[in-house]
Amino acid sequence: MTRYLLRQITLLFFTLLALSLFTFCLSYWFAGSAVTNSSGIFPDDPSYATIATARGFDGGYFGQYIAYLRHLFAGDWGRSLLDGAPVFEQLIVRFGASLEIMLLALLVAWFPGVAFGVLAALKPGRSVDNTILGMSISGYSIPVFWFAQLAILLVAVQWGLTPIAGQINPLFDIPAVTGSILIDIALAQPANPQAAYYSAFMHMILPVTVLAIMPMMLLIRLTRNSMLDVLNKNYIVSSYAKGMSTRRVLWSHALPNAMQQVIRQLSNLISLLIANTFILEVIFSWPGIGNWLVRSIYERDYPVIQGGLLIIGSLILVTHVLLNLFHAWRYPQVRKDLYAAP
Amino acid sequence: MATTKRSLIKTCTAALCLPVLIACAPQSEQEATLGVLYCAEGNPESFNPQLVTSGTTLDMTAAQLYDRLIEYSHKENNYQPALAERWSIDEHGLRYTFYLRDDVQFHTTDWFQPSRPLNANDVVFSFRRWFDPSHPFHSVSGRGYPFFTASGITELIDSMKALDEHTVEIRLKQQDSSFLANLASDFAIILSAEYGHQLLAAGTPELIDQRPIGTGPFQFSDFRKDVLVRYHRHPNYWRELAASEQIVFRITQSDHKRMLMLLTQDCDISPYPPARDVEWLRQKESIELQATVSPNTAFWAFNTERPPFDDPRVRQALAHAIDRDALLRAVYFEHAVRADSILPNTSWAHHPIPDAYRFDPERARELLAEADLADGFSMDIWAIPVQRGYNPNARLMAERMQSDLARIGVRANIVSYEWSTFRRRLAEGLHDSVLIGWSADHADPDNFFRPLLSCRAKESGNNRAQWCDPLFDDLLNAAIRTELMPTRQNFYQQAQEYLAIEVPLLPIAHSVRFQASQADIEGLQLAPFGGIELRRVKHRDTQELRP
Repeated sequence: MTRYLLRQITLLFFTLLALSLFTFCLSYWFAGSAVTNSSGIFPDDPSYATIATARGFDGGYFGQYIAYLRHLFAGDWGRSLLDGAPVFEQLIVRFGASLEIMLLALLVAWFPGVAFGVLAALKPGRSVDNTILGMSISGYSIPVFWFAQLAILLVAVQWGLTPIAGQINPLFDIPAVTGSILIDIALAQPANPQAAYYSAFMHMILPVTVLAIMPMMLLIRLTRNSMLDVLNKNYIVSSYAKGMSTRRVLWSHALPNAMQQVIRQLSNLISLLIANTFILEVIFSWPGIGNWLVRSIYERDYPVIQGGLLIIGSLILVTHVLLNLFHAWRYPQVRKDLYAAP
Repeated sequence: MATTKRSLIKTCTAALCLPVLIACAPQSEQEATLGVLYCAEGNPESFNPQLVTSGTTLDMTAAQLYDRLIEYSHKENNYQPALAERWSIDEHGLRYTFYLRDDVQFHTTDWFQPSRPLNANDVVFSFRRWFDPSHPFHSVSGRGYPFFTASGITELIDSMKALDEHTVEIRLKQQDSSFLANLASDFAIILSAEYGHQLLAAGTPELIDQRPIGTGPFQFSDFRKDVLVRYHRHPNYWRELAASEQIVFRITQSDHKRMLMLLTQDCDISPYPPARDVEWLRQKESIELQATVSPNTAFWAFNTERPPFDDPRVRQALAHAIDRDALLRAVYFEHAVRADSILPNTSWAHHPIPDAYRFDPERARELLAEADLADGFSMDIWAIPVQRGYNPNARLMAERMQSDLARIGVRANIVSYEWSTFRRRLAEGLHDSVLIGWSADHADPDNFFRPLLSCRAKESGNNRAQWCDPLFDDLLNAAIRTELMPTRQNFYQQAQEYLAIEVPLLPIAHSVRFQASQADIEGLQLAPFGGIELRRVKHRDTQELRP
C-alpha cells in the first residue's frame, strides 16, 4: 500500500506541476502583457514595475515560473481585470458554494442510485428491471439545463413551492465566509437560525435535485451491471449453497464487491457532475465558481480564468487520486493486481 | 413538542436537521429581517453617482444613499428644498446662495462615526471634488465626472465658498439656465467632508466611493459582486424614516429571469420586464405593473472618429438603411414611438425631422456609392448587455439591424460585454457604433444635448459618437445663455436640424419605461426623471418572511 500511495502522490505532484505550468503559460498565450495577465495590474498602475519585479519578469522564464508558484502558495492569485478584486479571496467563497451543491447532489444521488441498481440487478429482464433501466436511460439522456427549466416552470412558477435564485433569501444577513451557505449560517449565528436554515434548504431543493438526477441515473446503471457480474460469481453460488439468506449474501458478499467497480467509475461521474454544476449555477444564480468562470471567459478576465482553471483542474485531479487510493485501500485484490503479485 | 424539536436540532448536524426544519417551518413568526427585494439589472459601477451616468448605478445609489441640495418635483413642476431649505439667485443669474438645514445627520457605520451634522463644508467638499482639480479627491477612483464635465458645469463655476456654517455661495462665470436643473439631478449629491479627511489620514481615499457615507434614507451595508447590494435604514434620517428596515438589490441580468423571480416572489420589485410579456403581466393579479412615459431616446451612435464613419454620407446611408418601424414592433412591442429627433417628444423644444432618418435603402445605396463604398464594408454594432428604459433588448435590435444593413451590403458584427466593461471600453472609444440611449435626468432640453454630443462630452467619454463640432457647441451654448423660451426654442430647433444633416447618431425610439412589483408593495413611484426612490417602499401587510 505504501508503494502505491507514494506512486499516486508522485503522480499527483507531477500532474499538478504540469497544470500549474499550463496556467503559467496562459499568461503569455493570452493577448496583452504577461504581467497584467498574471497579476491583474495594468501597465498604467504605479505599482506595475514593483509587481513585475516581484514576479520575476526581469529574469528568465524559469525564475518567472518559480515566482509564479511562490505567489500561488502565498495566496496571491492576482486581481480581476474587471473590478480589481483579489482572485483568491473570490475563489475561496465561490469554490465553497460550488462544492456545497456538488457534495449534496452526490449524497442525494448515491443512496437511491445504488438501491435502484441493486433492485434492478436482482430481477434482470423483469418488469422492475425494465422500468428502472428505462427511467435511467431517459433520465440520463435529458440535458440538465432542460430539466432545470422544467423544474423552475413547474415546481417554482406553477406550484409556487420553491424559490429559484440564490442560496438564501437575501434579507437574511448572512456574510459569505466559506461560501457554503449551511456553514455560513452556522458561523453567522443569526437571531433565527431555524428560519435561515429553512430558507437555505428551500433554495437548495431545485439545484441539488436537478444536479443529482444525472449521477443518480449513472449510478443505477453502474450498480446494476456490476451487481449482475458479481451475482454470477462462484462465491455467490457457494454462499447460497451454504444456506445464507439472500439478505446476507447481498450485504456481505455481493454489494461490497459490486461497489468495487462502481467506485472505479466514480471519478468520471464527478467530472460530469462538475460540468453540470457550472450550468446549473448560471440557471439558478448560484454564486459559485462556474457562474463566475463563464463570465470571466466572456470578459477575457485572464487572472480569473487562470485561477478558475487551476482550482477546477486540481479538484478533478485530487478527487481522482483520492478515489484511487480509497479503492486500493478498501480492496486488497486491486493492490494485488497493481503490483502484479500472484 | 417544542422542546423535543429544539433538542432534535441541537443534536442534528446542519445537513441532517434539514428535513426536521421543513416540519417546523416558521409560519407567522415576526422576523427581525424584514425588507424589500429589488432585482437590479446589473452591478453598480461605483457607489458614488458623481462618477457615473449609468441608470443602473443611479437607481441603486443616488436617492438611496445620498441627498441633494434641491430636488425637482415633476408633479408641481418646480424645485423643492432638500438639504438646502431655501436659496436665492441674484438678478444677473450669476450668484447662487443656498441656506442649509441644520439637522441633517450622516450615516453612522462600523467604519465611520460622524462627530457633527451636515454643514457648509460638506457641500463645498462635495462640489469641489468634481470641479476643482486640486481637490485631494478629484483624481481618486480615476473615472472622471462624466455628467458634470459633459454638461459643462465644471467650467461654469467660478468660485464656491461657505459664507457661514450653513450658507454656501456659488458664483458662475456666465448665466446658465440649466444650472438649477443640474443641481437637482441625481449626480449633485453631498458627501461627508469629515469622512473624506478620515480616509485621507488613513491613506485609503478610494474607499469613499466603495464604502459610501451619505445623508440618505439608507446606509450601505454589504456588496457582493453579481449577487447583491444590501442597505439598512438610516435611523437618524432628517426626513421621514425609510419605510423598510432593509433594501436588498439582487443582481440579475436576464430580464426573463427577473420576471420569473417576481412570480416566485424572489423579487418584490423588478425594473424593465421583457417587453413581450408586458401585456401578460398586466393581467396577473399578484403583480402590479407601472408604466411611465419617461423622456428617453434610444439611439445608434457612430464613432465619427473612425473611418468610414467620419464621412457624414456614410452615416446618412446607415440611417436610411434601418427600418425603425419594424424595430418598434419587434423590440418594443409597440410600447414606444419612433424617434425623429434626439430630443424626446415630451420636451417643449422637440423638433422632429422624419425625412432625415426615413427608411430608404435605395437612397442609402446611392449615398454609399457617393462615398466610394458601393461594395459595402463590415462594421461592429455594440449592443448594451442590459435592459434600459429606452431599450428593452438591444441585442435583438442589433440582430434586426444586421439584416437591414445586409441589404445595402454592410456586414455587421454584434459585440457585447458585461455592463461595466462595456461602458469602460465605450468611453475609451473602441467601438464602431453603439446601440445605447439616454434617459432624462431633469426636464431641461439641455440634458439631451450637452451631456451627449458636445465637445466636452467627448472629453469626458460620454459622447458615444466621439463627435465634436464647434458650430454645434456654439448653438448649445447660445441656448443656455438666455432664459427666454422662444429664443432657446429657436436655438434648439437649429441644433436638431444640424443633427439631421450630420447624423452623428440615428435616433430610434422614445419608449415607455415599465416596472413590475408584487401587488402588496406600496410607496413605489416611477418618476419620469432620474433614478428610482425607494424610501417610501414597503410591504403593505405585516410581512411574513418567505423562504
